[in-house]
Amino acid sequence: MYDLVRGPLVWVAFTVFIVGTVYQVVRFYSLSRKNPQFRLIKPTGGPPKKEDPPAEPVLTFGQRLRLSIAGTNPVMTTVTTVFHVLLVLTPFFVLGHNVLWDLAWGISPPSFSEAFTDVLTIIVIAGGVYFLCRRLFMARVRAISSTYDFVILAIATAPFITGFLAYRNIFDYDTVILLHMLAGEIMLVAIPFTKLVHMPFFFINRFLLVHENTFGAGGSRIWR
Amino acid sequence: MSSPKNDNTVNTEAIREVLDTHRAKMKTALRVCAHCSLCAESCFLFHVHDGDPRYMPSHKFINSIGRLYKKKGRIDQEALEEISEIVWRRCVLCTRCYCPLGIDIPEMIALARNICRSQDVYFTWDQLEQEA
Repeated sequence: MYDLVRGPLVWVAFTVFIVGTVYQVVRFYSLSRKNPQFRLIKPTGGPPKKEDPPAEPVLTFGQRLRLSIAGTNPVMTTVTTVFHVLLVLTPFFVLGHNVLWDLAWGISPPSFSEAFTDVLTIIVIAGGVYFLCRRLFMARVRAISSTYDFVILAIATAPFITGFLAYRNIFDYDTVILLHMLAGEIMLVAIPFTKLVHMPFFFINRFLLVHENTFGAGGSRIWR
Repeated sequence: MSSPKNDNTVNTEAIREVLDTHRAKMKTALRVCAHCSLCAESCFLFHVHDGDPRYMPSHKFINSIGRLYKKKGRIDQEALEEISEIVWRRCVLCTRCYCPLGIDIPEMIALARNICRSQDVYFTWDQLEQEA
């Protein structure tokens, strides 16, 4: 079982993750088309002149910030940003992971110290607990939650919970590390085909599609 | 919700046709929605109704187009009336709602309205006068 999870299943998981994500991106391109006609035009020019008052009230940066999601939900915005950034970045800098790269292929990517990784892991788990509490106790989140949402949260946080347990030798190490590898593989496989697909689609929706809330240059594609 | 249609026949095929033409976009929107509720404050009706979750943009789109999609259009008249209640009475399509994941919620609501209209289920001002 250990050899299966450590060997072929890792390849299967990475293959499904990469091929699945590429499939989703290619599918998006096939279902959308380039249309410069609908390109979002952002207002340009300097501040309005006094003798030429703007038709609409001009908001200061502070006012705009207060009206944004960061202003209306500052705690959630902070937690979700930190959680998602660390969820993606931490696994690349875990010493234990990078030792495996070294043993297998002789490459040594940079690693954080184990103590620092431990702190990052705890932050991710704390973020997961925060999301769980929101889902359980906030009426507005509970109103749109189903079992599926809890399963997705479990899939996303399980690799970190088992990693935390394995590092501290809580419970039987062999079993926990096996579960850790399995949890990571399940998460990779789940990303392209479950709600976790919001990982690639966040970038597609916010940078490629033309709509009012597109970041950057205003997007370049619309749905067919 | 008022509707000129009183019989209990819903043309599932007609609904499915509309759903099929927008399947990819709808499926993506429903799958990408992380059920985070961060869109809530962007809806003025959510504020007006003292934070009633039923007025959250995500709640409205999940329970209208999401419901139609999950049921593959196999829906009865009563359910269609409930959906029309959501897409006309709980949403004015002001298009001010904001999704951090970039889902075009107004478009989904508009699509649900189209489906309701295709079955002769829609909001009428007479109904509002009667309620008043």
